[in-house]
Amino acid sequence: MKRRGWIDALFIFPCAFAFIMVIIVPFGLGIYYAMTDWNGVNPIVNWVGLSNFQGMFSEPQFIYSFLITLMYTAINVVFVNIVGFGLALLVTGKLRLRNIYRAGFFVPNLIGGIVLGYIWQFIFNNVQVDMGNALGIAFLQKSLISRPDTVIWAMSVVNTWQYAGYIMMIYVASIQSIPGSVMEAASVDGANFFQRVRRILIPMMASAFTITLFLTLTNSFKQFDLNFTLTNGGPAMRFMAKPIRSSQLLAMDIYRTANQQNLMAQAQAKAVIFFIVLVIFSLTQVYLNKRKELEA
Amino acid sequence: MRKLLSLALVAVLALSVLALPASANEKVNFSVFQLKVEIDPMIQAFGKLYNEKHPDVNVTVETLGGGADYGGALKAKLTADQMPTIFMIEGQGGYDLWKDFIADMSDADWVKDTDLAFYDPDGKAVGFPIAMEGFGLGYNAEILEKAGVDPATLTTFSATKAAIEKIAGMKEELGLDAVVSVGTSVAGGLWWVTSQHVFNAFYAGYQEYNDSSVYDALRRGEVDQERLTAFANYLKLLYDNADPNVLENGNYDAQVAAFASGKAAFITQGNWIDPNLAQLEATFPMGYISHNFLEEESTGLYMAAPSWFVVNKQASPEQQKAAIDFLNYMALSEDGANYMVAEAGMVPAFKSVKLQPEGPFSKALVEASARGGNFNWYFGQNPDGFNQGTLGPIFELLATGTVEDFVADVTAAFQEIANK
Repeated sequence: MKRRGWIDALFIFPCAFAFIMVIIVPFGLGIYYAMTDWNGVNPIVNWVGLSNFQGMFSEPQFIYSFLITLMYTAINVVFVNIVGFGLALLVTGKLRLRNIYRAGFFVPNLIGGIVLGYIWQFIFNNVQVDMGNALGIAFLQKSLISRPDTVIWAMSVVNTWQYAGYIMMIYVASIQSIPGSVMEAASVDGANFFQRVRRILIPMMASAFTITLFLTLTNSFKQFDLNFTLTNGGPAMRFMAKPIRSSQLLAMDIYRTANQQNLMAQAQAKAVIFFIVLVIFSLTQVYLNKRKELEA
Repeated sequence: MRKLLSLALVAVLALSVLALPASANEKVNFSVFQLKVEIDPMIQAFGKLYNEKHPDVNVTVETLGGGADYGGALKAKLTADQMPTIFMIEGQGGYDLWKDFIADMSDADWVKDTDLAFYDPDGKAVGFPIAMEGFGLGYNAEILEKAGVDPATLTTFSATKAAIEKIAGMKEELGLDAVVSVGTSVAGGLWWVTSQHVFNAFYAGYQEYNDSSVYDALRRGEVDQERLTAFANYLKLLYDNADPNVLENGNYDAQVAAFASGKAAFITQGNWIDPNLAQLEATFPMGYISHNFLEEESTGLYMAAPSWFVVNKQASPEQQKAAIDFLNYMALSEDGANYMVAEAGMVPAFKSVKLQPEGPFSKALVEASARGGNFNWYFGQNPDGFNQGTLGPIFELLATGTVEDFVADVTAAFQEIANK
């Protein structure tokens, strides 16, 4: 067959052009701007080297945002996957109306993060407080999202509620691809339900875990919309002797630096760090999971 | 044939990437990009009327949706090469950021008709005041009367404190949830009320309108501890007599609703809540007292232009001229006065406008303006993000914290920006 390289190249061109223009070029520009004093408007841009990177690690808000994002990600990876897996077991079992449940658990994922944030803000600030007052439970009398020690957990609950249904779908697909005969053989051999899940289902679903853990890890790490509408970073608390926002995750910290303080270059430097950390975490996770897949 | 087809396909795909610019129109097109969502229908109508009366120009007005990030959206427009001809700044921070895009309007006719124009450091008029806005401590006259408190006597800290404590003791019989409707929550988005407007009393209170000495000293890092402690005690008094749910996680709607429904006797809001009060059918008489944090007598309110229209210097000369004509028309014509006052319900920033606004708090401002002895606004001169990012959490922490911590935090915050 005759090779027609230039026609192939032309076919690739639109995609390649778009990819270069919207991913590669902005990425390179971003790294460049991280080393300047650009404010987003001023056309005169001065090179400042790495000083933007040095400044951020002495900023209490940034350090706190970094730590709280790691914690939030850890909580979410555990919560979302346990709940998602549990729901998947439930709806692949011998349950009546299981298709309706499947759809039902998935629906929260179809609601946008912005709307969801406002709905849950109402639930925490009004419904929860009224319930606490009516039942006389002191713990519920103050909104969970206005307490620095509970706000991250409250956000995780909302995120799990939204995201577990989606993760459940991936698990369901994976469970359904396991031949029924394997599970049947195990039951005949006398394995109980937990043994079957532990010894057969989970090892055979290793590739699904790679995907779900990756998705939950990256999504929680990049969380923004829910953070923005549900808590807006609040409530305030003291960290390293400075008043800061106790639920301001990294993405929101970057956004605020860029758009409220008009420190575009510093925000860009934070975004570069954010990117590097996320890449390290997600590559490590995929590497570990892949090894598990091979063992299985 | 197939080769031809694939070639054509490739061509179509490649072309679709390159968008063609729209063809030019003979009229002078210019655009307004503004952020006051509450006046959107009125300014749209005014733009349409202007187009009808001026067939040689075409103005398009765009409003950014409620609560959205105007600064970010404007940067996006700049990046997309769609910079509007007229846009808004909200003070010194905005001016410093956008100064390369702000034209001198010193020669425009509207400048002579107002005291509230925004001047650049060289003394050139560059900003067209959108309206006059103002605030103090708003009160519900009906509740005060039932409690036997005469608002005219509330001119010092001790009188205000005594009144708040008296009403606090009568909450049950007056049907109140709390004495003061005030919010400070970062989450609820009410940081701007306390850390900008109420705190402005500290910057400007008890001084001549154009005397910025307290604020200037503050920005040099010299924080008057006695004055700040007095202010903190006043703010703590308001916080201690607020509904904790409104104070710590309430939003704008919750704050205004508490006052409008007669569940609170005082509110820390400006005259921009008039339309909301009308919607909530709050018909009781109301007015303002000053933010009295010292023992000195004062009835002054805090009044200034909240934001200014500026003209994009980098637009074409025809567009700039059309934009200035448009602003002149808004300030000086009857249609403009009708739009600003009768339609949008704003307090006009121009002396020649004779119409009076209908809203109760706006009326109180007009009266105070005639009476004199009012105070300026300085919070707009703080660095970008300082009011929200730095002061916001400090003001929220006072709700559960102490006056001493608050004074120390505010002092440290101003010393930090002074060293830069």
